[in-house]
Amino acid sequence: MANVIIAAYNLKKYFPVGGFLFSSKQTIKAVDDVSIKIKENEVVGLVGETGCGKTTLGKLLIRLIEPTAGEIFFDVPEEIIVEYEEALKNKDTKKIEKISKRYSFLNKKGGELRRMRRYMNIVFQDPYSSLNPRMLVKDIIAEPIISTGYASKKEAEELVFKLLEEVGLTPEFAFRYPHELSGGQRQRVALARGISTLPKFLVLDEPTSALDVSIQAQILNLINEIRKKYSITILFISHNISVVHYMSDRIAVMYAGKIVEEGYKNSIIFDPKHPYSKALISSIPRPEPMREKIIINLQGEIPNLINPPKGCRFHPRCPVAFEECGWTADEVFQDIEYIIMRRYAEQFNGIKRIYIEDDFTISVEYEGKNLIEEKLKEVLNKEKQELRSLISIKNIKSESTKIKIELYKFVEPEMYKSKDGINVRCLLYREKK
Amino acid sequence: MSKNIGLIGRRNYLLKQNPRIEELKISFKIFFTNPTAVAGFVITLLYFIDIILVQFFPSFIGISDPNRYIYNFNNPVPLPPSSSHWCGTTAGGIDLCDAIIKSIRIDLIYSLFIVIVGAIIGLLLGLVSGYLGGIFDEILMRITDIFFSIPYLVLAIAILFVLGVSLENIAFSLIIVWWPLYARYARAQTLSIKQMTFIESAKASGTRDLMIMFKHIVPNVLPPIFVQISLDLGTVVGVFATLAFIGFSPTANIPELGYLTSLGLNYISIAPWSVIIPGLVITVFALAVNLMGDGLRDVIDPKRRSV
Ligand SMILES: Nc1ncnc2c1ncn2[C@@H]1O[C@H](COP(=O)(O)OP(=O)(O)OP(=O)(O)O)[C@@H](O)[C@H]1O
Ligand code: SF4
Ligand SMILES: [Mg+2]
Repeated sequence: MANVIIAAYNLKKYFPVGGFLFSSKQTIKAVDDVSIKIKENEVVGLVGETGCGKTTLGKLLIRLIEPTAGEIFFDVPEEIIVEYEEALKNKDTKKIEKISKRYSFLNKKGGELRRMRRYMNIVFQDPYSSLNPRMLVKDIIAEPIISTGYASKKEAEELVFKLLEEVGLTPEFAFRYPHELSGGQRQRVALARGISTLPKFLVLDEPTSALDVSIQAQILNLINEIRKKYSITILFISHNISVVHYMSDRIAVMYAGKIVEEGYKNSIIFDPKHPYSKALISSIPRPEPMREKIIINLQGEIPNLINPPKGCRFHPRCPVAFEECGWTADEVFQDIEYIIMRRYAEQFNGIKRIYIEDDFTISVEYEGKNLIEEKLKEVLNKEKQELRSLISIKNIKSESTKIKIELYKFVEPEMYKSKDGINVRCLLYREKK
Repeated sequence: MSKNIGLIGRRNYLLKQNPRIEELKISFKIFFTNPTAVAGFVITLLYFIDIILVQFFPSFIGISDPNRYIYNFNNPVPLPPSSSHWCGTTAGGIDLCDAIIKSIRIDLIYSLFIVIVGAIIGLLLGLVSGYLGGIFDEILMRITDIFFSIPYLVLAIAILFVLGVSLENIAFSLIIVWWPLYARYARAQTLSIKQMTFIESAKASGTRDLMIMFKHIVPNVLPPIFVQISLDLGTVVGVFATLAFIGFSPTANIPELGYLTSLGLNYISIAPWSVIIPGLVITVFALAVNLMGDGLRDVIDPKRRSV
């Protein structure tokens, strides 16, 4: 059986935010409970909007930054992974610990970790800041070779010329400084450096998005050639889904720190399941429309990752969100307040106070006329189309001078299996009981 | 196969010249397109030529004893500039031109020593503090805060009172007040370079912290530190001379610009040149190194370098 190059489970990376010594306990949940598996020779594409945590995930997988929580295995036989997943499912803590202790990538330290670095590397998006301006190209390319102890200094000199040829640069580039190179040439140097120790796993973090369109294709083809020649497993990060489609075998779609959909590329590109993926994919320009094309525009803002939306993180922007998708009393309160105090203020002048009773109840106090309840029901119903949070209202009850608005309890979606081998994190795909 | 390519590479290496020399050529080109910087450089150069001549070939410029002033007690009252004394004379009948040519050496050598030692101490501390951060960084920053909260001249004088009067002690006290400036500066530079992606790249390649500091950070921090040294040199010469002027130069007969200026002080109302001319020599030097420093700043600006 082939080895699994990367298997990560429940990875989290929370960046502390703010101030000085005694900062608040707030964190940016850049990667939150992500599991991802990449088999030998596979190219997995990772797509998502800016700021959703792609780079952070890429860095975590090669331990350029340490995870807040989670487990990572690097280059482990598949049967071990199967065993580990079995143990996870059965909550067999003893077995989990035993496998972790023996195989976990997170246990590697010091010299051992440095030697392992030979087998993995990362190429960054911006070739202007990822190459040291005061180093010659030959020293830039040779650095990983020497630092990881892959070869001696002398052998590294020879290897540099071979690597330059491999990425389509002539030997004299060895003696240039980065500022003498164009963007495409720099990215070739970065690639040469990335493959200089013949790694098994390479993270390519938007390797072409800083380049001219005309050069992008050349670099993508170069990556493909190199990967086939040296059988390198790749995590290909991009926000451009067409590029990811071109490069990858499988695609993972990330949204606000979580992977929301994952599967074979054609299944995802031609029949995406998650509403977010649908919106992403509908925006690709295609020469011949396969079927009636509906462009779903993504409305609303990119969620903040300090206090991400509850339940499904996509619910504030999801066009098909329903009752249980994650609305909380806070969100509904804001919309009701807007309706009562502003939009329909003249009809609701009998209302004294609106307040949040508990997580799932909002109370409206009024005086005088009983008709208010009927009117409120009618207006809330009418506004459901615009103010999506109102669909989470379960029922509206009157109590003497108070109207109680009860909400549905939200559910946090998990990864559900859908057809075509796709895994999707959306409540629409829950197994029906 | 790979050996062959290596040879081709080396041949090209020979053809293209040493890339470091190429870089130097670019640097010169940028520097010499800036006329004020070149003027500053030429003037600075003249001062250093003066030092070399006084040190090694004094008789060549007609100086009999470079280590002391020559008094002329027949004519102790300052004389104005004339054909026999181009800059005039000062108290004790000392010929000012002769005295100035001798004095520049002490001020410049000591000042150079002060900025270089200060910069080395500051660079090392600032580098480690900026790179490692944490408690070490916190402590170092509080220490530099203390230094910055006291006016540097006051601090230097306080140190001199404790140590006693000598030129070495002036230098020592100025190193003590100057290193925090470089520590702050080196730290700030280190912090900004630490953010660059190539540092992450180096970490991903398994490069050790010590190597990252000395191969990636120092080469990028050094050029701005050099510029800072050349900008500071003028100030330090001024402060050094000031301390000597107000009496921290040992009263022994040592040719030094601050002391020389103080000689004319008693006659300032009748012989202003005896104060103005040595003072001007200090000011012109300060201005010249400053202009040169500005030019050097252009040289290290990557925007000016890329084609
Ligand atoms: N070192 C850090 N400290 C604090 N916050 C960070 C750090 N690195 C990333 N973040 C935050 O984590 C979130 C995810 O960042 P990340 O760079 O992983 O996003 P991305 O998906 O790669 O975005 P892009 O497409 O713009 O590259 C962002 O909100 C970012 O501000
Ligand atoms: S769970 Fe599915 S339907 Fe609900 S908000 Fe999320 S993506 Fe939309
Ligand atoms: Mg990114």
